[in-house]
Amino acid sequence: MNPDDMIGKLSRPLSLRSRIGAVVALLGGLVGAVGVGLLWATEPALPGRTHLAFGLLVALCLAWTGYGSWALTRRTPLFALDQVIAGWLSVVATGLLTAAAVAVAAVRGTWVGVTGVAVAVTMTAVALVVLVRARARHAALLRRRRELEGRAGRP
Amino acid sequence: MSDELLVVRCQLGEREAFAELVRAWHGPVWTYVRRMLGPVEADDVSQEVWLAVVRGLPRLKEPGRFAPWLFTIARRAVANRLREEYARPEVAAGDGPVSPDATVALVDRAELVEGLSGLPAREREILVLFYLEDLSVEDCAEICAVPVGTVKSRLSRARRMLRDHLTEKGYRR
Repeated sequence: MNPDDMIGKLSRPLSLRSRIGAVVALLGGLVGAVGVGLLWATEPALPGRTHLAFGLLVALCLAWTGYGSWALTRRTPLFALDQVIAGWLSVVATGLLTAAAVAVAAVRGTWVGVTGVAVAVTMTAVALVVLVRARARHAALLRRRRELEGRAGRP
Repeated sequence: MSDELLVVRCQLGEREAFAELVRAWHGPVWTYVRRMLGPVEADDVSQEVWLAVVRGLPRLKEPGRFAPWLFTIARRAVANRLREEYARPEVAAGDGPVSPDATVALVDRAELVEGLSGLPAREREILVLFYLEDLSVEDCAEICAVPVGTVKSRLSRARRMLRDHLTEKGYRR
């Protein structure tokens, strides 16, 4: 096997699309589970079949969360640029979740709604920390690259 | 371009840099695996090594120490395949699966390459890393997770065993 064959075999774990796909699966699942769970918990009276449907939706979202976590920890971790993209996606997703939670809390006015807002705000704060750290790491690597390129270009 | 710069570019997420890294290091990795396991398993194990590199590269803290890190991964992959052989007493571990072939026998270090196949895995490994991959004693120690003194004594024993082995085969200096 020559190097180009090997690079071809590594194309999947190296694909930006598959890594961002795993991030979207994790975020979508997590935000979806919290969002649907919040709706489920704040509905005053539901028939049995609707409870079942909500339960299935939450389980489906958690399954996507599990898949995304597994893919990112075991199959293909994120490089610096991916981490920045993932950070922005997290901020957007959790921001939307927070807005939805605030709307639900305002309409329902129950302690469950307020708890949902607290959870969503915490998730947004975590997402912001993730984004700040990812940007700092990306910037540090860019600085290091410039240093090394400068050193290589020096006679 | 230095390995460190290539690794930093990889960590940033530049796919082309990873391709350059593979082009630069696939040969040494493949050679090491081939010497340790033989040609049949070299491709599969090399692929395992590169997959582990893709997964571990974002967390590599010292990009300048890429080579020892890479060979540590390669060694782990080889050790997994050789686990049964490693479990046996060292002196009884000599019947490695490597067989010399005619093409390799044409290179400058033909005697060494041919003789390697008759050595136990640990001695074969240290000779491959030190002589064929041109790694320092310190790098060999890091890769094998043993003290420098152990590397030196293992090298000395490996050289003696290789000399005895080649003498048995009829080579004379």
